[in-house]
Amino acid sequence: MIMLYFLLLPLIAVFIAPLLTPKRATYLSSAAFIIPFFSILYCIFKGNGCPSEIHIMNFSAPIGEIYLNFDFISHAFGLTICAVSAMVALFALPYMKHRFEEMKRNVKSEFRKYIFLYDLYAVSMLWLVYSGNLILLYIFLELTLITAFLLIYSYGYGNRKWVGLLYLIWCAVAGVLTLAGFIIIALDPLNNTLALKGITTVGMLAWAFIFVGMLIELPVLGPHVWLPWAHAEAPTPVSALLSPLTVGLAGYVLLRIALIDYSFITTYRMPILAYAIFSSIYAGFSVFTQTDFKRLLAYSTVSQMGYILVALCLGPFGLIGLVIQYMSHAFGKSILFSSAGGIIAVHHGLRDINKMGGLHDSIPTISNAAVVGFLNLGGILTIGMLGEFFILRGVVDTFGVNTMSLAIILPVIFMFMLSVWYGFYTIRKVFYGKPKDTKRLEISRYFYVPLFIIGILSVLLLFPPLSTALIPGLKAVIWTFMGVGGVMP
Amino acid sequence: MELAMAMMLGALAILTLGSIFSFKYRQFGFYAAIVALVIGLAACPGRSLYYGVFIFAIGIINLVSLNAIKSEIKGVDYGLVGLMALATMYIINTSDLAMVLAALVLVSVPTYILVMIREGGANVEVGIKYITFMVFATVLFLIGAIILAYTKSLPDAGLLYVLGYVMLVLGLSLEVGVAPLHEWVPDVFTSADPIPISIIASLAKIVPFIAALWILIYTANSLTASITIFTAVLAAISMFTGNIGALTSKEHARVLAYSTVANMGYVLTCIVVVPVVVVIEQGLVVIKPEFIYLALAGGLLLLFANAAGKIGFFNAIKGEGAYSPLMYMLAFSFIGVPPLMGFWGKLFILLSLVEVGYIWLVALLVINSAISIPYYVRLASELGIGWKANLTNFICLAVVVITLITVVPPDWFLRGMEVLAQTISIVI
Repeated sequence: MIMLYFLLLPLIAVFIAPLLTPKRATYLSSAAFIIPFFSILYCIFKGNGCPSEIHIMNFSAPIGEIYLNFDFISHAFGLTICAVSAMVALFALPYMKHRFEEMKRNVKSEFRKYIFLYDLYAVSMLWLVYSGNLILLYIFLELTLITAFLLIYSYGYGNRKWVGLLYLIWCAVAGVLTLAGFIIIALDPLNNTLALKGITTVGMLAWAFIFVGMLIELPVLGPHVWLPWAHAEAPTPVSALLSPLTVGLAGYVLLRIALIDYSFITTYRMPILAYAIFSSIYAGFSVFTQTDFKRLLAYSTVSQMGYILVALCLGPFGLIGLVIQYMSHAFGKSILFSSAGGIIAVHHGLRDINKMGGLHDSIPTISNAAVVGFLNLGGILTIGMLGEFFILRGVVDTFGVNTMSLAIILPVIFMFMLSVWYGFYTIRKVFYGKPKDTKRLEISRYFYVPLFIIGILSVLLLFPPLSTALIPGLKAVIWTFMGVGGVMP
Repeated sequence: MELAMAMMLGALAILTLGSIFSFKYRQFGFYAAIVALVIGLAACPGRSLYYGVFIFAIGIINLVSLNAIKSEIKGVDYGLVGLMALATMYIINTSDLAMVLAALVLVSVPTYILVMIREGGANVEVGIKYITFMVFATVLFLIGAIILAYTKSLPDAGLLYVLGYVMLVLGLSLEVGVAPLHEWVPDVFTSADPIPISIIASLAKIVPFIAALWILIYTANSLTASITIFTAVLAAISMFTGNIGALTSKEHARVLAYSTVANMGYVLTCIVVVPVVVVIEQGLVVIKPEFIYLALAGGLLLLFANAAGKIGFFNAIKGEGAYSPLMYMLAFSFIGVPPLMGFWGKLFILLSLVEVGYIWLVALLVINSAISIPYYVRLASELGIGWKANLTNFICLAVVVITLITVVPPDWFLRGMEVLAQTISIVI
């Protein structure tokens, strides 16, 4: 029950923070996510000692029991959401003040609205991953959509209203398709419920609806048209949640459905895998053609979401890879979007990477943080390394070691290498090379300290005791759902 | 039941007295209407209490909103709205066809007068147009209902049943503004004063649907399932016509008019569901209440959400804007964002449609929900202003509270409708 109270904290902060001054509101919001972060960490270490679910209410069929689900998968996602939301909240304090001044608005009153929406946005994601009923999950999915839309619509850049609507319409279509899939699940006589623990089968039609909906939400190549606009034109703290946390939640939904019934993936494994790899590589190459730093990061997100889809196809090991990939991408991309925000704030709206170069000389702290961000994306010395390991293990486990599996392994390895490639390309282009301005600038600590904290966490998660507590827990859950017998490796 | 009937008659008497005395003391009509609604609510049995509370709330807000307009029949207008609300409360509890049709007329006729209300005179031109359509609609509905009731006594209804069904559905469509019979809606909504239109677009929409549902369930036979495709096509046309019309309109009242056309299309899908779930078992007509209650709950929640939204937006038009967050909340409820009321309405309707195999209609409803997003957001954005402590904002706040009630997942409403659906099936 104590976990419920911890999850209620950020929800309470949603309503209290707008009553405070910007600084206090920021500290409260950040603390409201840090406390559940430590409680989740405690549960990860304690393992089975923590409750696995909390009952909320019983709804008539076919909706069924509404409860909170506290397994290791939810904890892994929850931990990431808490860490990133808490740190980005701190980063946003000077950034949003700067943005409100730029928009010639009253800082104090706008901050109240902003912090309310920000907290509601982050808390919706947190509750989404603990939802034990698909209808509850859908409610929080839509809440994240609406709050993000309002933030883009109110405080974004460029043609923010158009971009906001673009985002809203695409994601609403994704949401309703997913809802249609949920409804079909609910009305299956074998289920007659939307409670995760009560669902025994997911028909092909339901899977198809959910899959297409979540492909738009992820997104992969094709339905990705909304993403570069939304991520580039959103106010940077929103980009720093939207790209790292929100889009990957589509992967979470697919994972939950796959754990119930993996037949759709088994049936269509090869076309999905081919599409996912192509999407990731294509988007990875698209990164090189971008001149707007935030847009570049957005294309990197499309590429990284290809990893998630690849991982989904690769059996139990791939599913572990999916969870870890979500975490590593979230840590990396939140650092990178915040770095982009730092550059925008310090260098008066600078986003064109052709006008950047040598920024390490003027803002070394942000530059160093960005390097850690790209290490996460590239899977170098951070938790991303484990993600890539499990994805490769999934390829071997699914296809064996033979000539056929090489046809999968090589493109997957190339996909990983491409992230490292565009990562170092961007670092060189933005932070190194011939400096345009060598003057070292004084910048607020809020612009880099939260980034380093996320970076340190991403490194710590690679090593024991964190990795040795988290990964066996994830295995236990996934192995149980997938019906994998024998000793857990 | 007799006590409830006596209470309703008492409420009607109070309304009448209030309207008479309001010629001398104008506020009399207002207080009399409130007292009548309280009595009406007290007369609601337990199974329809939640429904009664919603109608009570919508009725009271409609009454209060009338204070925003200086009409020449001040006092009587309260009585007319009170009468509509009482009839709406009553219809869900009656099992008598004559009373169902009487309730329909009692809700329809007051709107003929209300639509003409405007400051400093009467809007006769709009009134004539509206009344012409409404009289035609009511006549179609009544004849359709009577034909359907008559077919119940026939061993082989055949073509007569189809004729009755089509007339009833066309009458309903004309009455509430379902496309392609929506001709009057954009013109009347844009020409009349926003306050009476907020009542016509909210309270007046509920009874025709309940009456149609009741009659169709009551008269259902083996032909029903094959003819529902007619209603399904009408619903689909209405959704698209409404949403495309709203997307391409600029005037706020016109956008809301087309939004009504689209919303009535959504609600019409309930009519598609209910008769389909009538099945023949061992020669007997059996109603499957597990499907009906979903459709009934969905349809009613959608009608309440539509009522709340229309009251809020039309009052905002009258007051030249309302508090921005309130406008957005209403827009999101219309779009169907959870956990607002519009979402639950659509969800329950979708569930019932999937149950009866109308997957293509589910897909169209979902697509239409998505394409409605831009105009609702635009409406909220253009009508949204800063906070002022005025009547418009208090009304908008009240209707937003209504849409927020479903933050508590409305299983309570669903269970109420389940009991009600069982009662209907027992009666039949």
